Amino acid sequence: MRQFRSMVYPYVLWIAIMIVVPMLMILLYAFTKEGNSVTTFRFTLENFGRFFRDAVFLDVLKRSLVIAVFTTVVCVLLGYPIAYVIASGPEKSSVFWILMITIPTWINMLVRTYAWVGILQDDGLLNHLLGLLGIGPFHIMYTTFAVVLGMVYNFIPFMILQIHTSLAKMDKSLLEAANDLGANRLQTFLRVTLPLSLPGVLSGITLVFLPAVSSFFIPKLLGGGQYVLIGNVIETQFLTSGDWNFGSAISLIMAIIIMLSMYLTRKVDTDPAANGRRE
Amino acid sequence: MKKLIQFKNIVKEFDGKLVLKGINLDIYENEFVTLLGPSGCGKTTLLRILGGFLTQNEGQVLFDGQEISNVPPYKREINTVFQKYALFPHMNVYQNIAFGLKIKKEPKDIIEQKVKRMLKLVNLEEYADRSVTEMSGGQQQRVAIARALVNEPSVLLLDEPLGALDLKLRQEMQHELKKIQQEVGITFIYVTHDQEEALTMSDKIVVMKEGEIQQIGTPTDIYNEPVNEYVANFIGESNIIEGVMLEDYKVVFEGRRFDCVDFGFEKNEVVDVVIRPEDLDIVPKAEGKLKGVVKSVLFKGVHYETMVETKVGTEITVKMQVSDDRPVYNESANEKMSANDFYLDMEDVEELDDATIIARADAQAWNPDADELISIKEVQYTIKKENGTYPVTFSTAAGTSVTVNMIVKDENRVTSTENEEEIFAVNFYKKADEIQESIALETDLKTWANASAWSLEDGTAVEISHVKYAFDPETVTPGIYDVTFATKGYEYKVDTTDKYEVGDVVGLSFQPEDIHIMSKGQ
Repeated sequence: MRQFRSMVYPYVLWIAIMIVVPMLMILLYAFTKEGNSVTTFRFTLENFGRFFRDAVFLDVLKRSLVIAVFTTVVCVLLGYPIAYVIASGPEKSSVFWILMITIPTWINMLVRTYAWVGILQDDGLLNHLLGLLGIGPFHIMYTTFAVVLGMVYNFIPFMILQIHTSLAKMDKSLLEAANDLGANRLQTFLRVTLPLSLPGVLSGITLVFLPAVSSFFIPKLLGGGQYVLIGNVIETQFLTSGDWNFGSAISLIMAIIIMLSMYLTRKVDTDPAANGRRE
Repeated sequence: MKKLIQFKNIVKEFDGKLVLKGINLDIYENEFVTLLGPSGCGKTTLLRILGGFLTQNEGQVLFDGQEISNVPPYKREINTVFQKYALFPHMNVYQNIAFGLKIKKEPKDIIEQKVKRMLKLVNLEEYADRSVTEMSGGQQQRVAIARALVNEPSVLLLDEPLGALDLKLRQEMQHELKKIQQEVGITFIYVTHDQEEALTMSDKIVVMKEGEIQQIGTPTDIYNEPVNEYVANFIGESNIIEGVMLEDYKVVFEGRRFDCVDFGFEKNEVVDVVIRPEDLDIVPKAEGKLKGVVKSVLFKGVHYETMVETKVGTEITVKMQVSDDRPVYNESANEKMSANDFYLDMEDVEELDDATIIARADAQAWNPDADELISIKEVQYTIKKENGTYPVTFSTAAGTSVTVNMIVKDENRVTSTENEEEIFAVNFYKKADEIQESIALETDLKTWANASAWSLEDGTAVEISHVKYAFDPETVTPGIYDVTFATKGYEYKVDTTDKYEVGDVVGLSFQPEDIHIMSKGQ
């Protein structure tokens, strides 16, 4: 093993350049002013002050979190039953359905989101079909519904895959044991299946919440210009306003919020077992 | 006693394969019943049908007189201890045991009382708060038993529950399970492939094979009076000899008449005679009912397993000519080479090829420094199907060569016919150092003599189990030696406390009640 150790160095270098350096840059930019030129650093907390003083930004932050939470909840509520049905079917069909769920992710997310624009717009596919039935037309584009729909559509595969994995690896004899001890199907689900699949649900939540809270092109495409989320604000700061310092500060704030939420998720994750030992 | 469970003509198939071929079985209250058989005999399938996890294709399962085939598992008064315990990993010991009671919504104080009692029954009082994933196999096993018993079922099903435990723990748990069963006084249905477990714990054993019941009986019945060869071999060890039932209480085997306690067979019916190893005694040869020679002795701890041969197998003796020729040394190529003369039977000449010649002549070339074998590139010979001596030359790529003689004679082949078997071997030449260096001399002697044996009935190969010779392989000198090859005769396995030496001539003695007669082909 020892002789292979030196082979790790290229990766260390790669990680340093691609991950550590950009992170340090963001940290540096967030705490400086007019730092676009490397020679004229001036340290300041003004970037953060600006964010927390401005009600508009706080509103955007709040809206982003609400939409991300809402998206995550919908993904759990929709994804769990789907994963459950797939996992309880025979092995062959579950392989097929998992493939069906994975295939769309092979196509670029942006392209698939554009497709939704075509479907949802006022004279789009959906309204056209509804028109044939004599319903509508509905105004769907540029609403919260459209944004959440786009996010759920894009992120639900992660939820389903995570939950499916934890359900599929569960020992089926546990279900028989519960059944044998007098539990009917509902009781078996609530007392055995659900608690044992919680780790899958929690990692699914992490995988959906993270991209949902920072996504910028879904609200941009499906929410229209007026539907601003925190991701859009950051994008604007970097690409339009050119205020890298402020953009970095907002990114840092988001990073801290995400780390906090992940920490809380992990805590819940280990809790059931801990409870088990305490009673 | 009351019939608690009745299986009526249960048939089960998986993917068109019959796993249970019409099982009829009654199980009574408070019985410890063991379903015994090798894997794939259908014992677990039967248990799962009773537990409600499988539905039979045909037949009925009655519980207390009621058909229960359509009752789901959670409504049956039956609990199961699963093969791999199936404990809930997200619950501690207490929660696992309390699971069934919580489902039934029993009051908290009653649950606590019952769980405490169960923990005491399985000796895990101090482990209530332990996570089940942190427990040993034996402890998990006890939790699984407690979790099932706390629901006060009328029947407890156990599916090979001790399979994952080590020998000592398994023996401990056998006693404990029996004790628990007697204490709680309910029916235990136990599935295992381990005959010792079955004999130790059961009130009743059901021996199964390929989806059919072979025999139902108490452990002593099954052990002492197996109904057929399958049961006799599956339960304990036994000597099975072919015999003829002359009339009731009279049996003939090994050419002698013996008294026995069996009856109800047809006159002159050909039967299998079973004698258990522990029922045989070794006595001085004059006092024995059978006479034989000790063939092997194995130390088994509490006893010696002594094999006594009462009738020799088919034998053949050939001549081995030992020479002390030195190997040829080719200095320029630094190669040594050796080969020996060999006898050929007239009939072998036609099938002769290079590989056979190299093997029979034991031709070898090697590098003496590196001790590495070198391949023989060329085998040169001419041979006719006539008596005579034909030279054969072996050579390597480097030019080292050795010439030996192939001696063709029609009387080299020696055959012997006895016991409906034929054995065959040829005389052979060998060098002294090769005998000394042989690491598996008996196998080598068989190869050198080209010895083989087969049944005259159907031509199948018969194992040559004995190779006898009178020389000391370490110090063999040139000369002519006898080598005898023999097949196995009638051998009896005898459990003895005294140690006998291989070669002792002894007598075998037994009582009429030690003989068990079984019908053939059941």
